[in-house]
Amino acid sequence: MSDIHKPCACSPDKGVSRRSFLRTSTVLASGVAALAASLAPLRELTDYTSIEQFMQKYYKEMTPQEMEKVLERITREVEQHYKIRPHVKDYKPMDGVEFVYCLNLTRCIGCRKCVHACVAENNQSQNPEIQYIRVLKLPHGSLDMEKGDHNYAPSSVPEKGFFYMPVQCQQCKNPPCVKVCPVKATWQESDGITVVDYDWCIGCRYCEAACPYFARRFNFTKPSIPKERLNPNMSYLGNRPRKQGVMEKCHFCIQRTRAGKYPACLEVCPTGARKFGNILDPESEVSYILRTKRVFIQLKEELGTSPRFFYYFDV
Amino acid sequence: MMRACKNYLTFLWRCTRIAFVGDWRYYAWLGLLSLFCLVGLNAYAKQIVHGLVVTGMSDQVSWGVYIANFTFLVGVAAAAVMLVIPVYIYGNEELHDLVIFGELLAVAAIIMCLAFVMVDLGRPDRFWHLIPGIGQFNFPGSMLSWDVIVLNGYLLMNVHICGYLLYCRYDGRRPAKWFYIPFVFLAIVWAVSIHTVTAFLYVGLGGRPFWNSAIVGPRFLASAFTAGPALIILAMQVVRWITADSPGGGVAPPPSGTPAPEAGARRPATLEDLELLASHLPQFASVPAEIRQSILMDAVVLDVAPGDALLRQGEAGNEVFFVLEGRVVVKREEKGRFRITRSVGPGEQFGETSALTKTPRAATAIAEEPACLLRLPADSLSKLMQIPQMNKIITWRMTERLMITDRALMILRSIVQVSMLINVFLLVNEIFKEFYSPTAHVASSQYLYFGLHGYHALVPWIWVAIAFNLVAMFLLVLPLSRSLKYLNVACVLAIVGIWIEKGMGLVVPGFIPTPLGEIVEYSPSLNETLVCLGIWAFGILCYTVLLRMAIPILQGTLSKATEGHGDFYHRSTETPTLGIPDVKTAHSR
Repeated sequence: MSDIHKPCACSPDKGVSRRSFLRTSTVLASGVAALAASLAPLRELTDYTSIEQFMQKYYKEMTPQEMEKVLERITREVEQHYKIRPHVKDYKPMDGVEFVYCLNLTRCIGCRKCVHACVAENNQSQNPEIQYIRVLKLPHGSLDMEKGDHNYAPSSVPEKGFFYMPVQCQQCKNPPCVKVCPVKATWQESDGITVVDYDWCIGCRYCEAACPYFARRFNFTKPSIPKERLNPNMSYLGNRPRKQGVMEKCHFCIQRTRAGKYPACLEVCPTGARKFGNILDPESEVSYILRTKRVFIQLKEELGTSPRFFYYFDV
Repeated sequence: MMRACKNYLTFLWRCTRIAFVGDWRYYAWLGLLSLFCLVGLNAYAKQIVHGLVVTGMSDQVSWGVYIANFTFLVGVAAAAVMLVIPVYIYGNEELHDLVIFGELLAVAAIIMCLAFVMVDLGRPDRFWHLIPGIGQFNFPGSMLSWDVIVLNGYLLMNVHICGYLLYCRYDGRRPAKWFYIPFVFLAIVWAVSIHTVTAFLYVGLGGRPFWNSAIVGPRFLASAFTAGPALIILAMQVVRWITADSPGGGVAPPPSGTPAPEAGARRPATLEDLELLASHLPQFASVPAEIRQSILMDAVVLDVAPGDALLRQGEAGNEVFFVLEGRVVVKREEKGRFRITRSVGPGEQFGETSALTKTPRAATAIAEEPACLLRLPADSLSKLMQIPQMNKIITWRMTERLMITDRALMILRSIVQVSMLINVFLLVNEIFKEFYSPTAHVASSQYLYFGLHGYHALVPWIWVAIAFNLVAMFLLVLPLSRSLKYLNVACVLAIVGIWIEKGMGLVVPGFIPTPLGEIVEYSPSLNETLVCLGIWAFGILCYTVLLRMAIPILQGTLSKATEGHGDFYHRSTETPTLGIPDVKTAHSR
């Protein structure tokens, strides 16, 4: 028998012998040391989750006072990090409003100004780059997205023989992303905007797999925004800076549209291809377009997602 | 109540303690696995700090090898049921001995599944948002919330069934049927559900045509019932190998075949001897006086010394032995190696199988300590067996053994065989549907099997997987695989093939091309791979420790009866059942 087979240190009938005690403690000590060594990278962790953040309640269950406190915390954090005092507000949906977006494919020239205006307005990470709008360059006569070029970079647009189709969150009436979220961290608001509670998302990315429009973006690492480019006008469900490991997406510029302004992508569009408004108001521009224009495309209509984003043509 | 608690705590304590006892091979194996675990933990710590950017995943391919492993392992866990169904529904005896091993494998697999989901989360600190009651649980809307319920439920069920059966075996009592049989049947349905729900995670996504197909669920089950039992076939042979040759108190059985010398002192049995037996075996009290008288006629009491052989494997014999005092160990020889199949104490019997079936002795029995035995001829045993209580207890104790027979492995082979045929058949169905009418939805399959627009990272993998599966299928169908050597080759090929096909071959192409037609390829990063290796090592570590606890309990060497015995027992019970011990000691005496 090798001596391992001798009664171990914890043998009931033998006392703890000096030798086995030494051996056990050496094994234990080296085990603890190895464990500590393997966890060493955690020393680089800078962004701890505070108790306050850890315990934060679900958005829909917070009282106005609790929300006040959370907004204060966000203000404090942003100020600490960017040395700019932001105005953080929790913009609520307005009664009798349902937002709809219309995009005129005849007019879009593929300049991607909307993409960049969106990044600036919504405090998207610039390294790594996160963009909510993807513009596809498609050959005339086809809507087959597999033929689309995502990375076109000519010296000037538009190019002959092609048309351009910007795709962003389609704000579906029947959103697959909301259905699959295991923790209800994303939902549809009464004005039709699908939002994400960045403080509730667990980062499983199931919604990203479920989205048929490639509209969701994940913070694979800590987002970085240059201080001078931070937009200080922020909303809780909208453009406040996000953390590592959570999902984000287009929210129709909630901090603008719920305050009666147009989304940033619309405002910057040089050709007037983008139209936005309240579909419940018969006098609105989008109501007029949906009444009078003849051809509309709802992307991937066959999936039954029923987008609030309509593509149309001047015919 | 207090005593029951104390007894249970002693059981847990002894199980925990035995997990840390073994020979140098056992320690080296644990050390190696722990090393991999720590390397994995280190990689995970890096991922915590820097985020999932350290993986190969992107917005385009947002799930990778973590979820691929998760999917594969849910199948392994579900496959434990392929042992349970034959045993509990069709009453198969051969597989009965393996059920616990299958369920422990399910426990280890589910632990790995949960770990793989955990490392895939971007915000593990918000895990509590998933807990029903305190978090926000999107049930029944999200298939992921279903998965949380079915996986944790399956884990609890299997822990309960194994824990209860092992504890009863330890305690030397018959498990109460109502306390575990309902769970066994629930677990059968549940096992199907864990894998179906996992398939539905993918099937439910209308925007991903590669997954949005009704055949995914059945294919998952078919491949799980191939890979799972294949893994059990391999694992059982490893268990059989490492549990053999154990020194068992330093007593080596003599070569089988030679008749046992008449050992020890012998005298005719008296009524007092039967009273002594009844004190250890309460069921014996139900034996009427006239039967007692009649069996006394041919009954012999033997007093034997440690090391005396009472019966030998291979020889003919039709007597049954009841232990009155001391302990007897029963060892079986397989290919020149010896394994303890049971350890028998006062009130328990051995040799009954040969007595009842008139077959040669299946194992050798050796006294482990000075023992006193009651020997009865076969017809006396038959008389006893006519009494219902005695019949019940004797039949039940017959099943208490550690046996991994080739026949059990062959039953598993036929399960793997049929499942593999169904698996390949379903694959053919899917390929036909995708390519015969190539709609726009064929893009992902095109990418997977042939490459798309010059991108073909997965092409070599999937063809290797298909080749492995086909070779495995042919091997399994041919009589060749009745030999363990070829069966093992087939099992390894099937496991690797299915791991590729169902992991990387299912998860990744679902994302390529993206819904907007973009192609971004995926390959796991080094850090990601290390995390995966760490979790696999952790799972194997769990399984090793669970086996380390379960095997001596199944052998009867770790039981309430052996509690508090001196060094002798420490040696014989808690020496390496895992890890091949001193061959020298085993054969030199």
